[in-house]
Amino acid sequence: MQISTINTLKKYDLILVAAVFLAFVPLLTMQRTTDFMIFCVFVLAYDLLYGYMGRLSFGHMLYLGIGAYAAALSAEHFSGNPFLALLVAVVAGGAVGLLLGLIIVRTTGACFALINLAFNQVGYFLVLIALSEWTGGEDGMSAFYDPVWIFDFGNRKIMFGFTLLCLVCVVYLVRRLTSSPFGILLRTIKENETRAKFLGYNTFLYKLLAFVLSTSLAAFAGALTMLNYTYATPSFIDPTRSVEVIFACLIGGAGNVYGALVGGVSYMILSNYLPNYIQRWEMFLGIALLVLVFKFQSGLWGYFRTFITERKREVKA
Amino acid sequence: MISTIAYGLTIGAILYIISIGLSLTFGTMRIVNFAHALVYTVGAYALASTLSFFGGAFIPAAIFAVLAVIPLAYIIERFVIRRLYGQSIDYAIIATYAVLLIGVDACKWIWGATPISVSDPIGASWTILGVDLPIYRLIIILLSLLVFAALEIFFRRTIVGKVVVAGLEDKEATRSLGINVDKYFSFVFILGSCLAALGGALYVPITSLHPYMGFQVLLLSFAVVIVGGMGNMRGTFVAAFALGMVMAMTGRFWGAASETMVFVVMAIVLIVKPIEV
Repeated sequence: MQISTINTLKKYDLILVAAVFLAFVPLLTMQRTTDFMIFCVFVLAYDLLYGYMGRLSFGHMLYLGIGAYAAALSAEHFSGNPFLALLVAVVAGGAVGLLLGLIIVRTTGACFALINLAFNQVGYFLVLIALSEWTGGEDGMSAFYDPVWIFDFGNRKIMFGFTLLCLVCVVYLVRRLTSSPFGILLRTIKENETRAKFLGYNTFLYKLLAFVLSTSLAAFAGALTMLNYTYATPSFIDPTRSVEVIFACLIGGAGNVYGALVGGVSYMILSNYLPNYIQRWEMFLGIALLVLVFKFQSGLWGYFRTFITERKREVKA
Repeated sequence: MISTIAYGLTIGAILYIISIGLSLTFGTMRIVNFAHALVYTVGAYALASTLSFFGGAFIPAAIFAVLAVIPLAYIIERFVIRRLYGQSIDYAIIATYAVLLIGVDACKWIWGATPISVSDPIGASWTILGVDLPIYRLIIILLSLLVFAALEIFFRRTIVGKVVVAGLEDKEATRSLGINVDKYFSFVFILGSCLAALGGALYVPITSLHPYMGFQVLLLSFAVVIVGGMGNMRGTFVAAFALGMVMAMTGRFWGAASETMVFVVMAIVLIVKPIEV
């Protein structure tokens, strides 16, 4: 591939992303592709935290669940407007993220991973038992949304189109954020926080901001899931499922927007089709994780990128 | 009330025995060892499945359970954790989580997902002020005190223990004295794993066994480690009993909330005394 071709491709990446997902429709069915795109939004939210800021969390399902339940509760108690539900979900995810972030963000490494997990466990308990009067406990809850203008989310095609639009916007937003000075500072924090502090930055504030952004994006993904299924169950907030998004991040290549997309799609393809052939799904996931950690740390996208840069060098020579 | 206190002390004793290994690996290697939960589960299953082989004798089965996890712990330390030394901590955490996933699925494969229960090995109980207290639980509490005393002696009186304490304080300085710290750390890792298996074996007669039992206990013992301070052995002891009491007291009023309350306490501790690692 020529360098100029790559640069042109980079310029039109949003259109390319949309085109790739449109191409999935005839291959996988529209329903599945919508699922894939929503999961990709969630992976992007997680990647902001793990890939860019270098904070591994084992409890990001909490915010997905908060988004889904907030959207459902909004439909039940306020109105059936789907956009209001999305707004409520994002605000709820951001607010909880802000509140917990004040405690969580102070820690790093192993502590960060497990405190998130502990809070996720608390959230799971709240949804499953303590607040079961409102959330329906183990049975989950359903909610229906009224059509607004052309946005009738009961219609598959419109749901698909809207999700695609959201995904493209989120990709643009994350890419814009991470190439801004703010994003560069996040990477500085990942590499060496002491130095970032030494340069005079209040790293706590930036970390909190990134955390809140990540949680509200995750809640947005949860609300989209809710719009898609019109049904929320406690499995949306189950802490043991957090490993899925970590896996997706790693297989695609952490710390890269396209890596997150590749990872999200690869994980969804694996989890949708492989369990038909593999009985021991958890064991397979574990072994695949070990292989990724030991042999394949840069992920699929990183592998692809080194392949291209080598090609570039050949072209130059 | 007395039975609540006794229950809290029992939970605290088991939490202490399990958490000490987690606290040590946390303090020495700076990673969360998710595989600790696997070792705990395997210990419990090893006891349950060999109990009939030993003719129902609890003590030899428990000893067997503790010894059975040594090769497992060695494999995890040698081939997973040590290979990731010097790399990002996150990879080590993910790798131990992967080991946990594989192990839990293997447990499900071998023993099935249905819960197994083991009856109280002593069965008798002791009446204090009109309340029946099972002797087995009292023995657990005594055993945890014994473990605490033994560890105190080990870390203050023996050379191996002193090296580990020094390594916890300052790894680089200890290494510069010509001591192969990693060798001692792997010994501590195996010791901690054996204690986790002991905790699992002791806990079996109180609850029932299922492949996912490790997840819950891991979170609880992590809370103990946070509250007590990482790598702080006396702190772990105090925190384990305190959180055990919290669980028992909450459980008295609202059974389902007992575990959540532990995390609330942990959050409060973190607000008051933030950890900057």
